[in-house]
Amino acid sequence: MDWLNNLVGPTVARGIFQFIGINVAFVVVLMIVAYTVLAERRVLGFIQGRLGPNRVGPGGILQPFADLLKFIFKEEIVPDKSTRFIYFLAPFLAITCALMPIIVYPFGPEIHIPGTRIVFPLVVARFDVALLYVLAITSVGVYGIALAGWSSNNKYSLMGGLRSAAQLISYELSLGLSLVGVVLLSGTLDLYEIVGQQGGWHGLRWNIIFQPLGFIIYLISAIAETNRVPFDLPEAETELVAGFHTEYSALKFALFFMAEYVNMFTVSMLATTMFFGGWQGPGVSTFPLLGIFYFLGKVICFLFLYIWLRGTLPRFRFDQLMNFGWKFLLPMAILNLIITATVVFFFGT
Amino acid sequence: MSDILTFIVFILLAGLAIGSALAMVAQRNPLYSAISLIGVFGALAGLYLTLAAPFIAAVQIIVYAGAIMVLVVFVIMLLNVEEEVRRPVRLRYLVPTAVLLAAVLFAEAAFILFYVNDAPAPPSPLATAEPSTTGLTASIGTGLFTTYLLPFEITSILILMALVGAMTLARRTAARPQDLVVPGAQVLPLQMVEPARVGDDTPVRSDTTAEAARTLGLNEQEQTRE
Repeated sequence: MDWLNNLVGPTVARGIFQFIGINVAFVVVLMIVAYTVLAERRVLGFIQGRLGPNRVGPGGILQPFADLLKFIFKEEIVPDKSTRFIYFLAPFLAITCALMPIIVYPFGPEIHIPGTRIVFPLVVARFDVALLYVLAITSVGVYGIALAGWSSNNKYSLMGGLRSAAQLISYELSLGLSLVGVVLLSGTLDLYEIVGQQGGWHGLRWNIIFQPLGFIIYLISAIAETNRVPFDLPEAETELVAGFHTEYSALKFALFFMAEYVNMFTVSMLATTMFFGGWQGPGVSTFPLLGIFYFLGKVICFLFLYIWLRGTLPRFRFDQLMNFGWKFLLPMAILNLIITATVVFFFGT
Repeated sequence: MSDILTFIVFILLAGLAIGSALAMVAQRNPLYSAISLIGVFGALAGLYLTLAAPFIAAVQIIVYAGAIMVLVVFVIMLLNVEEEVRRPVRLRYLVPTAVLLAAVLFAEAAFILFYVNDAPAPPSPLATAEPSTTGLTASIGTGLFTTYLLPFEITSILILMALVGAMTLARRTAARPQDLVVPGAQVLPLQMVEPARVGDDTPVRSDTTAEAARTLGLNEQEQTRE
Protein backbone atom coordinates (compact mmCIF):
# COMPACT_ATOMS: atom_id res chain seq x y z
CA MET A 1 0.00 0.00 0.00
CA ASP A 2 2.51 2.60 1.20
CA TRP A 3 5.18 1.79 -1.36
CA LEU A 4 2.61 2.07 -4.16
CA ASN A 5 1.45 5.43 -2.78
CA ASN A 6 5.02 6.69 -2.77
CA LEU A 7 5.69 5.38 -6.26
CA VAL A 8 2.76 6.82 -8.26
CA GLY A 9 0.85 9.12 -5.91
CA PRO A 10 -2.42 8.53 -4.03
CA THR A 11 -4.80 9.21 -6.97
CA VAL A 12 -3.28 6.64 -9.29
CA ALA A 13 -2.82 4.14 -6.44
CA ARG A 14 -6.52 4.41 -5.59
CA GLY A 15 -7.33 4.02 -9.27
CA ILE A 16 -5.27 0.82 -9.47
CA PHE A 17 -6.97 -0.63 -6.39
CA GLN A 18 -10.42 0.21 -7.75
CA PHE A 19 -9.55 -1.36 -11.10
CA ILE A 20 -8.53 -4.58 -9.34
CA GLY A 21 -11.64 -4.41 -7.15
CA ILE A 22 -13.96 -3.96 -10.14
CA ASN A 23 -12.46 -6.94 -11.92
CA VAL A 24 -12.61 -9.20 -8.86
CA ALA A 25 -16.25 -8.19 -8.25
CA PHE A 26 -17.18 -8.84 -11.89
CA VAL A 27 -15.52 -12.26 -11.95
CA VAL A 28 -17.15 -13.31 -8.67
CA VAL A 29 -20.58 -12.11 -9.80
CA LEU A 30 -20.31 -13.71 -13.24
CA MET A 31 -19.26 -17.05 -11.71
CA ILE A 32 -22.22 -16.95 -9.32
CA VAL A 33 -24.47 -16.03 -12.24
CA ALA A 34 -23.18 -18.97 -14.29
CA TYR A 35 -24.01 -21.32 -11.44
CA THR A 36 -27.39 -19.65 -10.90
CA VAL A 37 -28.27 -20.77 -14.43
CA LEU A 38 -27.24 -24.32 -13.61
CA ALA A 39 -29.08 -24.20 -10.27
CA GLU A 40 -32.18 -22.93 -12.03
CA ARG A 41 -32.15 -25.82 -14.49
CA ARG A 42 -31.57 -28.40 -11.76
CA VAL A 43 -34.15 -26.96 -9.36
CA LEU A 44 -36.74 -26.59 -12.12
CA GLY A 45 -35.99 -30.19 -12.99
CA PHE A 46 -36.76 -31.33 -9.45
CA ILE A 47 -39.90 -29.16 -9.27
CA GLN A 48 -41.13 -30.74 -12.50
CA GLY A 49 -40.19 -34.29 -11.47
CA ARG A 50 -37.19 -34.79 -13.77
CA LEU A 51 -33.42 -34.70 -13.33
CA GLY A 52 -32.14 -31.67 -15.22
CA PRO A 53 -28.60 -31.43 -16.68
CA ASN A 54 -26.30 -33.78 -14.72
CA ARG A 55 -23.93 -35.18 -17.37
CA VAL A 56 -21.12 -32.60 -17.79
CA GLY A 57 -18.76 -33.15 -14.88
CA PRO A 58 -19.82 -34.60 -11.50
CA GLY A 59 -23.49 -33.71 -10.97
CA GLY A 60 -23.44 -31.35 -13.97
CA ILE A 61 -20.97 -28.99 -12.30
CA LEU A 62 -19.24 -28.05 -15.59
CA GLN A 63 -22.48 -27.43 -17.51
CA PRO A 64 -22.13 -23.57 -17.53
CA PHE A 65 -18.77 -23.82 -19.32
CA ALA A 66 -20.14 -26.26 -21.87
CA ASP A 67 -23.02 -23.86 -22.51
CA LEU A 68 -20.64 -20.94 -22.95
CA LEU A 69 -18.47 -22.87 -25.44
CA LYS A 70 -21.61 -23.76 -27.37
CA PHE A 71 -22.70 -20.11 -27.48
CA ILE A 72 -19.29 -19.02 -28.75
CA PHE A 73 -19.17 -21.55 -31.59
CA LYS A 74 -22.78 -21.18 -32.77
CA GLU A 75 -23.41 -19.44 -36.09
CA GLU A 76 -24.22 -15.72 -35.89
CA ILE A 77 -27.34 -14.92 -37.86
CA VAL A 78 -28.13 -11.27 -38.63
CA PRO A 79 -31.56 -10.58 -40.18
CA ASP A 80 -31.34 -8.93 -43.61
CA LYS A 81 -33.77 -6.11 -42.87
CA SER A 82 -32.44 -5.31 -39.39
CA THR A 83 -31.04 -1.91 -38.43
CA ARG A 84 -27.47 -3.12 -38.25
CA PHE A 85 -25.83 -0.68 -35.83
CA ILE A 86 -28.60 -0.71 -33.20
CA TYR A 87 -28.95 -4.47 -33.59
CA PHE A 88 -25.31 -4.83 -32.50
CA LEU A 89 -25.51 -2.08 -29.88
CA ALA A 90 -28.50 -3.47 -27.96
CA PRO A 91 -26.93 -6.58 -26.31
CA PHE A 92 -23.90 -4.56 -25.21
CA LEU A 93 -26.16 -1.92 -23.68
CA ALA A 94 -28.06 -4.62 -21.83
CA ILE A 95 -25.02 -6.34 -20.30
CA THR A 96 -23.21 -3.05 -19.52
CA CYS A 97 -26.19 -1.63 -17.64
CA ALA A 98 -26.58 -4.93 -15.79
CA LEU A 99 -22.93 -5.01 -14.65
CA MET A 100 -22.43 -1.34 -13.77
CA PRO A 101 -24.35 -1.23 -10.43
CA ILE A 102 -22.22 -4.03 -8.94
CA ILE A 103 -19.44 -1.65 -7.86
CA VAL A 104 -21.47 0.13 -5.15
CA TYR A 105 -22.66 -2.90 -3.17
CA PRO A 106 -20.79 -3.63 0.06
CA PHE A 107 -19.90 -7.34 -0.04
CA GLY A 108 -18.60 -7.30 3.53
CA PRO A 109 -17.23 -5.17 6.37
CA GLU A 110 -13.70 -3.78 6.54
CA ILE A 111 -11.23 -6.66 6.39
CA HIS A 112 -7.96 -6.46 8.31
CA ILE A 113 -5.26 -8.78 6.99
CA PRO A 114 -3.57 -10.30 10.09
CA GLY A 115 0.09 -9.48 10.62
CA THR A 116 -0.04 -6.35 8.44
CA ARG A 117 -1.48 -2.84 8.70
CA ILE A 118 -3.60 -3.33 5.58
CA VAL A 119 -7.31 -2.61 6.07
CA PHE A 120 -9.67 -2.47 3.16
CA PRO A 121 -13.47 -2.36 2.86
CA LEU A 122 -15.15 -4.95 0.64
CA VAL A 123 -16.81 -2.36 -1.56
CA VAL A 124 -15.34 -1.03 -4.80
CA ALA A 125 -16.74 2.52 -4.73
CA ARG A 126 -18.43 4.47 -1.96
CA PHE A 127 -20.24 7.65 -2.80
CA ASP A 128 -22.96 9.96 -1.60
CA VAL A 129 -25.67 8.94 -4.11
CA ALA A 130 -24.98 5.20 -4.45
CA LEU A 131 -28.67 4.26 -4.34
CA LEU A 132 -29.62 6.85 -6.97
CA TYR A 133 -26.75 5.59 -9.13
CA VAL A 134 -28.21 2.07 -8.97
CA LEU A 135 -31.69 3.32 -9.87
CA ALA A 136 -30.31 5.47 -12.70
CA ILE A 137 -28.39 2.61 -14.32
CA THR A 138 -31.38 0.27 -13.92
CA SER A 139 -33.65 2.77 -15.63
CA VAL A 140 -31.26 3.03 -18.59
CA GLY A 141 -31.11 -0.77 -18.91
CA VAL A 142 -34.50 -0.88 -20.64
CA TYR A 143 -32.97 0.53 -23.84
CA GLY A 144 -31.09 -2.71 -24.43
CA ILE A 145 -34.35 -4.65 -24.64
CA ALA A 146 -36.45 -1.97 -26.36
CA LEU A 147 -33.85 -1.27 -29.06
CA ALA A 148 -33.23 -4.99 -29.59
CA GLY A 149 -36.93 -5.44 -30.24
CA TRP A 150 -37.10 -2.51 -32.64
CA SER A 151 -33.92 -3.14 -34.63
CA SER A 152 -34.67 -6.83 -35.31
CA ASN A 153 -37.47 -5.81 -37.69
CA ASN A 154 -39.69 -8.65 -36.52
CA LYS A 155 -43.22 -8.20 -35.21
CA TYR A 156 -42.73 -10.51 -32.23
CA SER A 157 -39.50 -8.76 -31.28
CA LEU A 158 -41.19 -5.36 -31.58
CA MET A 159 -44.07 -6.48 -29.36
CA GLY A 160 -41.56 -7.74 -26.79
CA GLY A 161 -39.63 -4.47 -26.85
CA LEU A 162 -42.79 -2.40 -26.49
CA ARG A 163 -44.07 -4.53 -23.62
CA SER A 164 -40.77 -4.30 -21.82
CA ALA A 165 -40.62 -0.50 -22.16
CA ALA A 166 -44.17 -0.11 -20.83
CA GLN A 167 -43.62 -2.61 -18.01
CA LEU A 168 -40.36 -1.12 -16.80
CA ILE A 169 -41.71 2.44 -16.83
CA SER A 170 -44.71 1.30 -14.77
CA TYR A 171 -42.89 -0.70 -12.11
CA GLU A 172 -39.89 1.61 -11.76
CA LEU A 173 -42.07 4.07 -9.83
CA SER A 174 -43.15 1.59 -7.16
CA LEU A 175 -39.59 0.24 -6.97
CA GLY A 176 -38.15 3.68 -6.27
CA LEU A 177 -40.90 4.65 -3.83
CA SER A 178 -40.57 1.41 -1.85
CA LEU A 179 -36.89 2.19 -1.27
CA VAL A 180 -37.60 5.75 -0.11
CA GLY A 181 -39.01 4.31 3.14
CA VAL A 182 -35.63 2.80 4.01
CA VAL A 183 -33.88 6.02 2.99
CA LEU A 184 -36.16 7.97 5.35
CA LEU A 185 -35.26 5.61 8.21
CA SER A 186 -31.51 5.74 7.66
CA GLY A 187 -31.19 9.33 6.42
CA THR A 188 -28.60 8.52 3.76
CA LEU A 189 -28.30 7.20 0.20
CA ASP A 190 -24.90 5.63 0.84
CA LEU A 191 -25.40 1.83 0.77
CA TYR A 192 -22.34 1.20 2.98
CA GLU A 193 -23.78 3.40 5.70
CA ILE A 194 -27.28 1.92 5.35
CA VAL A 195 -25.79 -1.53 6.01
CA GLY A 196 -23.71 -0.15 8.89
CA GLN A 197 -26.83 1.19 10.60
CA GLN A 198 -28.48 -2.23 10.59
CA GLY A 199 -25.84 -3.67 12.91
CA GLY A 200 -27.75 -3.38 16.23
CA TRP A 201 -29.38 -6.29 18.12
CA HIS A 202 -26.36 -8.58 17.43
CA GLY A 203 -26.52 -7.78 13.73
CA LEU A 204 -30.25 -8.55 13.41
CA ARG A 205 -31.71 -5.02 13.43
CA TRP A 206 -32.72 -5.34 9.80
CA ASN A 207 -34.83 -2.77 8.02
CA ILE A 208 -37.47 -5.32 7.04
CA ILE A 209 -38.73 -5.25 10.65
CA PHE A 210 -39.67 -1.58 10.19
CA GLN A 211 -40.54 -1.75 6.48
CA PRO A 212 -42.46 -5.00 5.81
CA LEU A 213 -44.85 -3.38 3.33
CA GLY A 214 -41.98 -1.60 1.60
CA PHE A 215 -40.14 -4.89 1.22
CA ILE A 216 -43.12 -6.69 -0.34
CA ILE A 217 -43.63 -3.83 -2.81
CA TYR A 218 -39.91 -3.84 -3.61
CA LEU A 219 -39.87 -7.60 -4.15
CA ILE A 220 -42.83 -7.55 -6.56
CA SER A 221 -41.56 -4.58 -8.57
CA ALA A 222 -38.04 -6.01 -8.65
CA ILE A 223 -39.32 -9.23 -10.19
CA ALA A 224 -41.20 -7.14 -12.75
CA GLU A 225 -38.10 -5.04 -13.45
CA THR A 226 -36.02 -8.13 -14.21
CA ASN A 227 -38.67 -9.56 -16.60
CA ARG A 228 -38.99 -12.79 -14.65
CA VAL A 229 -41.99 -15.07 -14.13
CA PRO A 230 -44.79 -14.08 -13.46
CA PHE A 231 -43.87 -10.79 -15.21
CA ASP A 232 -41.97 -12.26 -18.18
CA LEU A 233 -44.26 -10.74 -20.82
CA PRO A 234 -41.44 -9.23 -22.95
CA GLU A 235 -40.31 -12.76 -23.83
CA ALA A 236 -43.54 -14.72 -23.30
CA GLU A 237 -42.69 -17.78 -25.37
CA THR A 238 -46.28 -18.97 -25.71
CA GLU A 239 -47.27 -15.69 -27.41
CA LEU A 240 -44.16 -14.03 -28.85
CA VAL A 241 -41.79 -16.91 -29.84
CA ALA A 242 -39.00 -15.48 -27.68
CA GLY A 243 -39.97 -11.80 -27.54
CA PHE A 244 -37.27 -9.19 -27.92
CA HIS A 245 -34.43 -11.68 -28.51
CA THR A 246 -36.20 -13.78 -31.17
CA GLU A 247 -33.70 -12.74 -33.86
CA TYR A 248 -30.58 -12.99 -31.70
CA SER A 249 -28.26 -15.97 -31.85
CA ALA A 250 -24.89 -17.18 -30.59
CA LEU A 251 -22.92 -14.82 -28.33
CA LYS A 252 -25.31 -11.89 -28.69
CA PHE A 253 -28.11 -14.04 -27.32
CA ALA A 254 -25.76 -15.15 -24.55
CA LEU A 255 -25.20 -11.50 -23.61
CA PHE A 256 -28.96 -10.95 -23.17
CA PHE A 257 -29.19 -14.18 -21.21
CA MET A 258 -26.31 -13.14 -18.93
CA ALA A 259 -27.79 -9.64 -18.52
CA GLU A 260 -31.05 -11.14 -17.27
CA TYR A 261 -29.31 -13.21 -14.62
CA VAL A 262 -26.91 -10.42 -13.60
CA ASN A 263 -29.96 -8.18 -13.19
CA MET A 264 -31.57 -10.81 -10.96
CA PHE A 265 -28.37 -10.89 -8.93
CA THR A 266 -28.04 -7.12 -8.51
CA VAL A 267 -31.71 -6.77 -7.60
CA SER A 268 -31.25 -9.47 -4.95
CA MET A 269 -28.15 -7.67 -3.68
CA LEU A 270 -30.15 -4.44 -3.37
CA ALA A 271 -32.90 -6.26 -1.46
CA THR A 272 -30.29 -7.77 0.89
CA THR A 273 -28.54 -4.44 1.38
CA MET A 274 -31.65 -2.34 1.93
CA PHE A 275 -33.93 -4.71 3.86
CA PHE A 276 -31.91 -7.65 5.19
CA GLY A 277 -28.90 -5.98 6.74
CA GLY A 278 -26.39 -6.69 3.94
CA TRP A 279 -23.40 -8.42 5.52
CA GLN A 280 -24.69 -7.88 9.08
CA GLY A 281 -25.46 -10.92 11.19
CA PRO A 282 -24.61 -12.52 14.54
CA GLY A 283 -20.87 -12.74 15.09
CA VAL A 284 -19.71 -10.39 12.34
CA SER A 285 -18.18 -7.91 14.80
CA THR A 286 -15.72 -10.57 16.03
CA PHE A 287 -15.17 -12.43 12.73
CA PRO A 288 -15.48 -9.84 9.90
CA LEU A 289 -14.92 -12.48 7.21
CA LEU A 290 -18.23 -14.07 8.21
CA GLY A 291 -19.92 -11.01 6.65
CA ILE A 292 -19.15 -12.17 3.10
CA PHE A 293 -20.89 -15.48 3.75
CA TYR A 294 -23.91 -13.79 5.33
CA PHE A 295 -24.19 -11.42 2.35
CA LEU A 296 -23.84 -14.04 -0.37
CA GLY A 297 -26.06 -16.47 1.58
CA LYS A 298 -28.90 -13.94 1.74
CA VAL A 299 -28.49 -13.12 -1.96
CA ILE A 300 -28.59 -16.82 -2.85
CA CYS A 301 -31.85 -17.19 -0.88
CA PHE A 302 -33.36 -14.48 -3.11
CA LEU A 303 -32.05 -16.20 -6.24
CA PHE A 304 -33.67 -19.43 -5.07
CA LEU A 305 -36.94 -17.53 -4.59
CA TYR A 306 -36.73 -16.40 -8.24
CA ILE A 307 -36.26 -19.98 -9.43
CA TRP A 308 -39.03 -21.23 -7.15
CA LEU A 309 -41.46 -18.64 -8.53
CA ARG A 310 -40.54 -19.60 -12.08
CA GLY A 311 -41.31 -23.23 -11.33
CA THR A 312 -44.70 -22.59 -9.75
CA LEU A 313 -46.43 -19.47 -11.06
CA PRO A 314 -48.29 -18.78 -14.34
CA ARG A 315 -47.84 -15.55 -16.31
CA PHE A 316 -49.87 -12.33 -15.97
CA ARG A 317 -52.01 -11.05 -18.82
CA PHE A 318 -50.83 -7.64 -20.03
CA ASP A 319 -53.85 -5.64 -18.85
CA GLN A 320 -53.66 -7.38 -15.46
CA LEU A 321 -50.01 -6.38 -15.28
CA MET A 322 -50.77 -2.72 -15.97
CA ASN A 323 -53.77 -2.59 -13.61
CA PHE A 324 -51.79 -4.25 -10.83
CA GLY A 325 -48.83 -1.92 -11.24
CA TRP A 326 -50.70 1.37 -11.46
CA LYS A 327 -53.85 0.78 -9.43
CA PHE A 328 -52.55 -1.40 -6.60
CA LEU A 329 -48.77 -1.37 -6.24
CA LEU A 330 -48.22 2.37 -6.75
CA PRO A 331 -50.93 3.50 -4.25
CA MET A 332 -49.58 1.00 -1.71
CA ALA A 333 -46.06 2.36 -2.19
CA ILE A 334 -47.31 5.95 -1.68
CA LEU A 335 -49.25 4.83 1.43
CA ASN A 336 -46.13 3.18 2.82
CA LEU A 337 -44.15 6.35 2.15
CA ILE A 338 -46.72 8.55 3.91
CA ILE A 339 -46.90 6.27 6.96
CA THR A 340 -43.10 6.05 7.23
CA ALA A 341 -42.65 9.79 6.83
CA THR A 342 -45.28 10.50 9.51
CA VAL A 343 -43.73 8.06 11.98
CA VAL A 344 -40.21 9.37 11.34
CA PHE A 345 -41.43 12.96 11.75
CA PHE A 346 -43.14 12.37 15.10
CA PHE A 347 -40.94 9.74 16.73
CA GLY A 348 -37.53 10.15 15.08
CA THR A 349 -35.63 7.28 13.52
CA MET B 1 -2.12 15.70 -12.57
CA SER B 2 -5.76 15.61 -11.62
CA ASP B 3 -6.31 19.03 -13.28
CA ILE B 4 -5.15 17.62 -16.61
CA LEU B 5 -7.37 14.55 -16.10
CA THR B 6 -10.38 16.76 -15.34
CA PHE B 7 -9.66 18.82 -18.44
CA ILE B 8 -9.40 15.74 -20.66
CA VAL B 9 -12.67 14.36 -19.25
CA PHE B 10 -14.34 17.74 -19.80
CA ILE B 11 -13.20 17.91 -23.44
CA LEU B 12 -14.38 14.34 -24.06
CA LEU B 13 -17.81 14.89 -22.47
CA ALA B 14 -18.34 18.30 -24.04
CA GLY B 15 -17.41 16.92 -27.44
CA LEU B 16 -19.79 14.00 -26.95
CA ALA B 17 -22.59 16.36 -25.91
CA ILE B 18 -22.14 18.72 -28.88
CA GLY B 19 -21.64 15.88 -31.34
CA SER B 20 -24.75 14.05 -30.14
CA ALA B 21 -26.77 17.27 -30.22
CA LEU B 22 -25.73 17.93 -33.84
CA ALA B 23 -26.48 14.31 -34.74
CA MET B 24 -29.92 14.62 -33.13
CA VAL B 25 -30.83 17.53 -35.39
CA ALA B 26 -29.21 16.11 -38.50
CA GLN B 27 -30.62 12.57 -38.35
CA ARG B 28 -33.69 11.83 -40.48
CA ASN B 29 -34.65 8.64 -38.68
CA PRO B 30 -36.56 9.70 -35.52
CA LEU B 31 -35.24 6.77 -33.48
CA TYR B 32 -31.63 7.75 -34.25
CA SER B 33 -32.47 11.29 -33.15
CA ALA B 34 -33.88 9.94 -29.89
CA ILE B 35 -30.75 7.84 -29.26
CA SER B 36 -28.54 10.87 -29.96
CA LEU B 37 -30.58 12.85 -27.43
CA ILE B 38 -29.96 10.12 -24.85
CA GLY B 39 -26.26 10.56 -25.62
CA VAL B 40 -26.56 14.30 -24.90
CA PHE B 41 -28.20 13.58 -21.54
CA GLY B 42 -25.53 11.03 -20.64
CA ALA B 43 -22.73 13.48 -21.48
CA LEU B 44 -24.44 16.24 -19.47
CA ALA B 45 -24.69 13.89 -16.47
CA GLY B 46 -20.96 13.26 -16.79
CA LEU B 47 -20.31 17.01 -16.86
CA TYR B 48 -22.36 17.45 -13.66
CA LEU B 49 -20.20 14.76 -12.06
CA THR B 50 -17.01 16.66 -12.93
CA LEU B 51 -18.62 19.73 -11.30
CA ALA B 52 -19.02 17.70 -8.05
CA ALA B 53 -22.84 17.55 -8.27
CA PRO B 54 -23.53 13.78 -8.17
CA PHE B 55 -27.19 14.21 -7.13
CA ILE B 56 -28.00 16.36 -10.18
CA ALA B 57 -26.15 13.88 -12.40
CA ALA B 58 -28.15 10.90 -11.05
CA VAL B 59 -31.44 12.78 -11.35
CA GLN B 60 -30.55 13.80 -14.91
CA ILE B 61 -30.13 10.15 -15.86
CA ILE B 62 -33.17 8.89 -13.92
CA VAL B 63 -35.62 11.53 -15.13
CA TYR B 64 -34.46 12.36 -18.65
CA ALA B 65 -32.60 9.32 -19.97
CA GLY B 66 -34.50 6.74 -17.90
CA ALA B 67 -38.08 8.01 -18.01
CA ILE B 68 -38.82 10.71 -20.57
CA MET B 69 -36.67 9.28 -23.36
CA VAL B 70 -38.02 5.77 -22.73
CA LEU B 71 -41.50 7.17 -23.37
CA VAL B 72 -40.29 8.95 -26.52
CA VAL B 73 -38.63 5.76 -27.82
CA PHE B 74 -41.78 3.83 -26.88
CA VAL B 75 -44.00 6.14 -28.93
CA ILE B 76 -41.62 6.10 -31.92
CA MET B 77 -41.59 2.29 -31.83
CA LEU B 78 -45.34 2.00 -31.27
CA LEU B 79 -46.33 4.33 -34.13
CA ASN B 80 -43.48 3.09 -36.35
CA VAL B 81 -42.63 6.68 -37.34
CA GLU B 82 -41.00 6.63 -40.76
CA GLU B 83 -37.91 8.41 -41.95
CA GLU B 84 -38.35 12.06 -42.71
CA VAL B 85 -38.34 12.98 -46.42
CA ARG B 86 -36.52 16.15 -47.45
CA ARG B 87 -39.01 18.80 -48.59
CA PRO B 88 -38.52 22.29 -50.03
CA VAL B 89 -38.62 24.90 -47.26
CA ARG B 90 -42.03 26.54 -47.28
CA LEU B 91 -41.55 29.30 -44.72
CA ARG B 92 -38.63 31.08 -46.39
CA TYR B 93 -38.50 33.99 -43.96
CA LEU B 94 -37.47 31.56 -41.19
CA VAL B 95 -33.96 31.14 -42.62
CA PRO B 96 -32.74 34.75 -42.13
CA THR B 97 -34.53 34.86 -38.76
CA ALA B 98 -32.64 31.75 -37.65
CA VAL B 99 -29.31 33.26 -38.73
CA LEU B 100 -30.11 36.46 -36.85
CA LEU B 101 -31.12 34.63 -33.66
CA ALA B 102 -28.01 32.43 -33.82
CA ALA B 103 -25.86 35.56 -34.14
CA VAL B 104 -27.54 37.06 -31.05
CA LEU B 105 -26.96 33.80 -29.14
CA PHE B 106 -23.27 33.68 -30.03
CA ALA B 107 -22.90 37.36 -29.14
CA GLU B 108 -24.36 36.61 -25.71
CA ALA B 109 -21.98 33.68 -25.23
CA ALA B 110 -19.03 35.87 -26.26
CA PHE B 111 -20.15 38.61 -23.87
CA ILE B 112 -20.29 36.15 -21.00
CA LEU B 113 -16.91 34.68 -21.91
CA PHE B 114 -15.04 37.98 -22.29
CA TYR B 115 -16.69 40.37 -19.82
CA VAL B 116 -18.56 38.51 -17.11
CA ASN B 117 -15.78 35.96 -16.70
CA ASP B 118 -13.18 38.68 -16.12
CA ALA B 119 -15.18 40.52 -13.47
CA PRO B 120 -14.21 39.61 -9.89
CA ALA B 121 -16.64 36.99 -8.64
CA PRO B 122 -18.81 38.15 -5.72
CA PRO B 123 -18.35 35.98 -2.64
CA SER B 124 -21.01 33.31 -2.99
CA PRO B 125 -22.80 32.51 0.29
CA LEU B 126 -22.83 28.82 -0.59
CA ALA B 127 -19.14 28.72 -1.44
CA THR B 128 -18.01 30.52 1.70
CA ALA B 129 -20.21 28.61 4.16
CA GLU B 130 -19.43 24.98 3.37
CA PRO B 131 -18.11 24.47 -0.15
CA SER B 132 -17.85 20.69 0.15
CA THR B 133 -21.59 20.03 0.64
CA THR B 134 -22.89 22.09 -2.28
CA GLY B 135 -24.51 19.83 -4.86
CA LEU B 136 -24.81 16.91 -2.47
CA THR B 137 -28.16 15.36 -1.65
CA ALA B 138 -28.56 16.83 1.82
CA SER B 139 -27.90 20.45 0.82
CA ILE B 140 -30.23 20.22 -2.21
CA GLY B 141 -32.98 18.67 -0.09
CA THR B 142 -32.60 21.31 2.62
CA GLY B 143 -32.69 24.07 0.05
CA LEU B 144 -35.74 22.68 -1.74
CA PHE B 145 -37.80 22.23 1.39
CA THR B 146 -36.86 25.39 3.32
CA THR B 147 -35.66 28.37 1.22
CA TYR B 148 -37.32 27.37 -2.05
CA LEU B 149 -40.40 25.60 -0.68
CA LEU B 150 -42.99 27.82 -2.38
CA PRO B 151 -41.50 27.65 -5.91
CA PHE B 152 -41.06 23.90 -5.43
CA GLU B 153 -44.71 23.38 -4.46
CA ILE B 154 -45.96 25.66 -7.24
CA THR B 155 -43.92 23.67 -9.77
CA SER B 156 -45.39 20.40 -8.49
CA ILE B 157 -48.94 21.76 -8.81
CA LEU B 158 -48.14 23.00 -12.32
CA ILE B 159 -46.92 19.54 -13.33
CA LEU B 160 -50.01 17.95 -11.75
CA MET B 161 -52.25 20.31 -13.75
CA ALA B 162 -50.41 19.42 -16.95
CA LEU B 163 -50.88 15.71 -16.16
CA VAL B 164 -54.60 16.06 -15.52
CA GLY B 165 -54.99 18.20 -18.63
CA ALA B 166 -53.18 15.67 -20.81
CA MET B 167 -55.38 12.88 -19.47
CA THR B 168 -58.56 14.87 -20.08
CA LEU B 169 -57.50 15.59 -23.65
CA ALA B 170 -56.42 12.04 -24.36
CA ARG B 171 -59.43 10.31 -22.85
CA ARG B 172 -62.00 9.89 -25.60
CA THR B 173 -65.67 9.96 -24.68
CA ALA B 174 -67.05 6.43 -24.61
CA ALA B 175 -68.65 5.66 -27.96
CA ARG B 176 -72.20 4.40 -28.34
CA PRO B 177 -72.57 0.87 -29.73
CA GLN B 178 -74.27 1.92 -32.97
CA ASP B 179 -71.37 4.26 -33.86
CA LEU B 180 -68.86 1.46 -33.96
CA VAL B 181 -68.41 -0.87 -36.90
CA VAL B 182 -65.95 -3.71 -36.97
CA PRO B 183 -64.28 -4.42 -40.33
CA GLY B 184 -65.09 -7.85 -41.72
CA ALA B 185 -68.16 -9.96 -41.01
CA GLN B 186 -67.84 -10.65 -37.30
CA VAL B 187 -69.78 -9.83 -34.16
CA LEU B 188 -67.75 -8.52 -31.26
CA PRO B 189 -68.70 -7.26 -27.78
CA LEU B 190 -68.25 -3.52 -27.36
CA GLN B 191 -65.51 -3.89 -24.74
CA MET B 192 -63.13 -5.36 -27.34
CA VAL B 193 -63.52 -2.34 -29.63
CA GLU B 194 -63.71 0.52 -27.15
CA PRO B 195 -61.23 0.31 -24.24
CA ALA B 196 -63.24 2.80 -22.19
CA ARG B 197 -66.22 0.43 -22.01
CA VAL B 198 -64.72 -2.50 -20.11
CA GLY B 199 -67.34 -5.08 -19.20
CA ASP B 200 -69.87 -3.92 -21.78
CA ASP B 201 -70.95 -6.94 -23.78
CA THR B 202 -73.29 -5.11 -26.20
CA PRO B 203 -72.67 -6.60 -29.65
CA VAL B 204 -71.19 -4.22 -32.20
CA ARG B 205 -72.78 -4.08 -35.69
CA SER B 206 -70.48 -5.69 -38.19
CA ASP B 207 -70.29 -5.17 -41.93
CA THR B 208 -67.94 -5.40 -44.89
CA THR B 209 -64.56 -3.68 -44.70
CA ALA B 210 -65.50 -0.94 -47.15
CA GLU B 211 -68.72 -0.21 -45.29
CA ALA B 212 -66.83 -0.12 -42.00
CA ALA B 213 -64.24 2.26 -43.37
CA ARG B 214 -66.94 4.63 -44.62
CA THR B 215 -68.70 4.61 -41.26
CA LEU B 216 -65.46 5.22 -39.37
CA GLY B 217 -64.69 8.17 -41.66
CA LEU B 218 -61.60 6.77 -43.37
CA ASN B 219 -61.09 8.10 -46.89
CA GLU B 220 -60.35 6.12 -50.03
CA GLN B 221 -56.58 6.78 -49.95
CA GLU B 222 -56.11 5.31 -46.51
CA GLN B 223 -58.11 2.25 -47.46
CA THR B 224 -55.92 1.45 -50.45
CA ARG B 225 -52.77 1.90 -48.42
CA GLU B 226 -53.98 -0.48 -45.76
